Amino acid sequence: MLSINAFNTYRIPQIFDYYRPRDLREALKLLESVEGAKVVAGGTDLVVDLKYRRIEVRALIDISRLDELRFIKLEDSYVEIGSAVTIQEIVESSIAREKLPLLVEAAESLGSWQIRNLATIGGNLCTASPAADTAPPLLVYDAELELVSLRGVRTVPIEKFFTGPKRVVLERGEILRSIRIPVSRNVFGWSYIKLRRTSFDVAKASVAVLLDARDGYIVDARVALGSVAPTPVRARGVERSIVGLKIEEAARVASERVVNEISPIDDARSTAWYRLQASKTLVSDAVWRAYERLLKIGV
Amino acid sequence: MFNFIGRSFPRHDGFAKASGLAEFTFDVEVPGMLYGRIFKSPHAFARVGRVDASGAEALGAVVLTPDDVPDRLFNPRLISIEEDTFKDWRVLTKVPRYFGEPIAAVAAPTEDTAQRALEALRVDFEEVYDPVLDPFKAMSPSTRPIHERVMRGGRWIEVKNNIAAELRYSEGDLDSEEKRSSVVIERKFHASRRYHTQLEPKGAVCKLEPDGTLVVWTTTQTIHNTKILISQVYGIPMNRVDVRKVLLGGGFGSSIHTNLVTLIAVGLCLKSRKPVKLVLTREEDMVHDHVSFEFYMKVRAGATRDGSITFGELDNLIDVGAHQIQAYPILGTSLGWFVSLYKWRAVKYHGRSVYTNKVPSCAIRGYGAPEITWAVETVVDELAEELKIDPLEFRLANYRGRGEIFWGQGPTVKSIIRSDGVPELIAKGSEIIGWKRRESPRVKTGRFRRGVGVGRGFHTSGAGGPLSGAIIDYTGAVVKVNEDGSIDYITALQDHGGGTLDAHIKIIAEELKIPPGKVRVVWSGTSTTVYDVCTHASRGVFTGGEAARRAALEVKKKVLEYASRILDSVSPEALRIEYDRELSDAVIFVEGAPEKRITLSEVARVAWQRNWGSISASVSYRATVAPPSFTVYFVEVEVDMETGVIKPIRVVAGADIGTVISPELAAGQIHGGFAIGWSWTVGDEVSYLENGVPAHRMSLTDYKLPTSMDLPSDEDFIVLFASTYEPFGPFGAKGLGEAASNPVIAAVANAIYNATGIRFYEIPMTPEKILKAIKEGE
Amino acid sequence: MKIKFKLNGVFTEVYVEPHETLLNVLRDRLKVRSVKYGCGVGECGSCTVLLDGEPVPSCLVVAAKVDGSEVTTPDHIAQTELGKVIVDSMLEEGAIQCGYCTPGFLVTIYAALARGVRNVDEIRKAIAGNICRCTGYVNILKAVKKILERVGS
Repeated sequence: MLSINAFNTYRIPQIFDYYRPRDLREALKLLESVEGAKVVAGGTDLVVDLKYRRIEVRALIDISRLDELRFIKLEDSYVEIGSAVTIQEIVESSIAREKLPLLVEAAESLGSWQIRNLATIGGNLCTASPAADTAPPLLVYDAELELVSLRGVRTVPIEKFFTGPKRVVLERGEILRSIRIPVSRNVFGWSYIKLRRTSFDVAKASVAVLLDARDGYIVDARVALGSVAPTPVRARGVERSIVGLKIEEAARVASERVVNEISPIDDARSTAWYRLQASKTLVSDAVWRAYERLLKIGV
Repeated sequence: MFNFIGRSFPRHDGFAKASGLAEFTFDVEVPGMLYGRIFKSPHAFARVGRVDASGAEALGAVVLTPDDVPDRLFNPRLISIEEDTFKDWRVLTKVPRYFGEPIAAVAAPTEDTAQRALEALRVDFEEVYDPVLDPFKAMSPSTRPIHERVMRGGRWIEVKNNIAAELRYSEGDLDSEEKRSSVVIERKFHASRRYHTQLEPKGAVCKLEPDGTLVVWTTTQTIHNTKILISQVYGIPMNRVDVRKVLLGGGFGSSIHTNLVTLIAVGLCLKSRKPVKLVLTREEDMVHDHVSFEFYMKVRAGATRDGSITFGELDNLIDVGAHQIQAYPILGTSLGWFVSLYKWRAVKYHGRSVYTNKVPSCAIRGYGAPEITWAVETVVDELAEELKIDPLEFRLANYRGRGEIFWGQGPTVKSIIRSDGVPELIAKGSEIIGWKRRESPRVKTGRFRRGVGVGRGFHTSGAGGPLSGAIIDYTGAVVKVNEDGSIDYITALQDHGGGTLDAHIKIIAEELKIPPGKVRVVWSGTSTTVYDVCTHASRGVFTGGEAARRAALEVKKKVLEYASRILDSVSPEALRIEYDRELSDAVIFVEGAPEKRITLSEVARVAWQRNWGSISASVSYRATVAPPSFTVYFVEVEVDMETGVIKPIRVVAGADIGTVISPELAAGQIHGGFAIGWSWTVGDEVSYLENGVPAHRMSLTDYKLPTSMDLPSDEDFIVLFASTYEPFGPFGAKGLGEAASNPVIAAVANAIYNATGIRFYEIPMTPEKILKAIKEGE
Repeated sequence: MKIKFKLNGVFTEVYVEPHETLLNVLRDRLKVRSVKYGCGVGECGSCTVLLDGEPVPSCLVVAAKVDGSEVTTPDHIAQTELGKVIVDSMLEEGAIQCGYCTPGFLVTIYAALARGVRNVDEIRKAIAGNICRCTGYVNILKAVKKILERVGS
């Protein structure tokens, strides 16, 4: 175990090489060939981990400037976002603001302006923190992740991407290339709500909701939560239980059912008990807010 | 009435600070310097066997071990007189008593080499003990002693049951007062250990002059006590230690003493004979040196049916961590704060400071007053409620105000209150906050509930007094008129950012009738200044400002004397001095004789040309009183009954600081005092795992501070100043820094009660605790 | 490795180690001391600089990454016309206390204004990544209002 003496947040206390590949193919080659290499994009998590010796690396492969990973584009049925797009770029993207307001709302709540200017959507997902702000919205959007390696390309639904705290399905030599988010013709109300210690903080608990309703009855509901389980989770049981209900009833039932779908723990930010309690309120609030937004759009 | 006092002028160091060009310790560089790193104990309580430096030395590093530093105990804070100074620290230890305690240090030509050398040090531990973390368990006779003996002054004393210091006090007939009380309330309070989180981590840079003089730049609130301590520990004459004044990136008590990092840097410099820079990383700063004291208080108090307070009893147990900084004085001041808040007819006090294997505690803004005030103001609120008396009326009837004897900094520092703005502040503040519309928590319903609370507090202006007492408190100032009439102001007094030195500039300007722009604060060191004890106890303006005024007054006398010669008046007493806006200078003149007129600049020039000598004054000043600055804060909060989240809605903060010298900077102290108090109430806490490692708290990622979005906006924060005049203060001024934060926890806690109907007796009052209490109440 | 970038408008070439952050290189190699170290983990905002016009915590930027970029630091911003308005307003409103965090605020407020933000609430949000332990932000917000009045639309 490394002691306090091995930490250094002024100057990274380990020596490594740095590569900035010209294109994705070179990045993939480096990743295959350089022993102990790690991909870095924004560095907002990785550099902290290096300073606290949570990881040791031999080389960094910086993909943050690769044009192939820096795009937001709108296709017929989906929006595609390159993995090296920064969180602030998503906040400011007109495509994202129009088509993915839920993702934008979550992105706005991530870190500080300074952090958002560095942090990337790909980094936020690959770090695989249970509290990753972009994960719950992407879960309810049914996003698909495109993973590339020298061996080829594969697509993974986001629900299958996270395998545990800090663990994802990425294999050695693989890089997350882009996130593809289906754009529905239906109109949804949306809401991302997050509890935190201060207004610049990682979530204690967070909820993303997409909602469609007719005549006051829920016809489609999608709910996901962050920071209350080993990974960000989709709450399908909650979704099933509230479709067909009137909004008042739906909010109440959602709040009751959510406890069955989460398994929070105690950590630096909060307690398991509080997360369980707060999730009930958070889900109900998010359902209500999504519904109210839906009504506004309807008008 | 005044030319400059009470008016706004841009602070003298403002551009340098905003542009980042101002130099802090972290920015000091000396050619050829080595970079230091500290080996911090990975165990909270252990005994070191061997320090193997060979690996580090092979890398070219200089290694400092406990055997390389003088085997001499000391206390990093030189504020008590020698016979009341408890000494249990060493520069480097063979018996680490808290996680992070320095055992060794390295210095190398580059930072990377220093880091590698640090990691190459091999420290064997002969024994690793279970740390003693609970102060109540620490007092059990079967618990391993953290210190077997320590020094008090020059003699050894045994430490029994890990009790570092103890103080008992009683006054009046408590039993009979209790008997005649209609209501008695007893409550227990717990105030967490809080980290100062000054934005600049602590550090030091040292070099040796060719003549052997040691020059030191360091984060400190006191350059002279740092000089004295270095001299005492390393046996260097004081005139061979020059501690230079350098900007301090936030104090709040974190550098009220000489930080250990300073003494380690000196050790590395003396051993290597090279300049050394040793600055802490944030994680080191958090574990290595100093958090607040942790309080366990039990308060009992009574009152009669008609609303008179009868008695007050305080049992005060303080967890001081592994070493003493002011374990003994804090017991006296805690008593002082308690006694001086209300007119108890009988008082009983038992204070104990207890050692544990945690980071040592030192003063944090308020030095115990925020915690004691919270406990007392909660119990006072509860007494008033029991008696069905308005809490404001109850306070007005019972508080210690004008004409009363007042202690402040403990039993040896008593004086009579001469200025008191409490009635004015209560009247105005309650009007603005809408106190009369305040409803009982019992009638409140709904999810988001608002509540209004009040907290009344005070702080002393300095620690002066009529008798010498057990505490050292005096200061000095040098004012020098240059040959063109511009002024150099030379002081050792440190400005933590509150604008203390800008107040001094105005005080000097006011006395000499010259514009503040003509006064320059000279950045100097211990070699070129007269002694100042420390910027602490909210004394910077009251004591330091008065010293500056007295020096300016002496200078003025000389100016008038020279002017009298030039103008050929019968005596200096025939002259008047006034500020001339057009000339932007002081003019000295004979009333009714328009031709008999000269500017101060001209006097200075003539004195130079005619070989009359320099006009200057050096003053050493001890204040004979330490008057209270009163603060009355009204706070409105909103509590989400479903998540326990609380938000500040409005603050009406009233302060009685006598004459207000710099309105916008004084308001800034109040805003900042509220901010830190809010942070203490809702978030700040250093807690520990079973092995004595600070839990989750070795970075600002998890030691969260409120942001611009979490505190009231300028529109929701109203500052009131009482219209008082303190006869002993410079131009009627008193202190402010700590008074600004002292009533905050109390006001917020009372507001939370008014919103929810639930009282919390432990800080921080996190959403987790609030929600739990709400659910338990349902 | 050698990197080239524009520092405050001037082409700069400097040798850096791959494990050095932009904060290290600015302070220790290029002697730009206006960039302050406060936490090293991007939480406090004291080390904020503009990287290609956007405020970032320089303690989290691997220095090698800025090759080919533009970096702007507080000492430079303080000398610009807009920077002077910010500094003067902060001075007049008593928004500066210990001053350790202030250069970071200067950079963030400057960046917000430079991209056309003219709204107090938005700037209040923008500075949420700059921690100040002294002021409670109240006088900083007052200064922001004054800045907005002076800058106009």
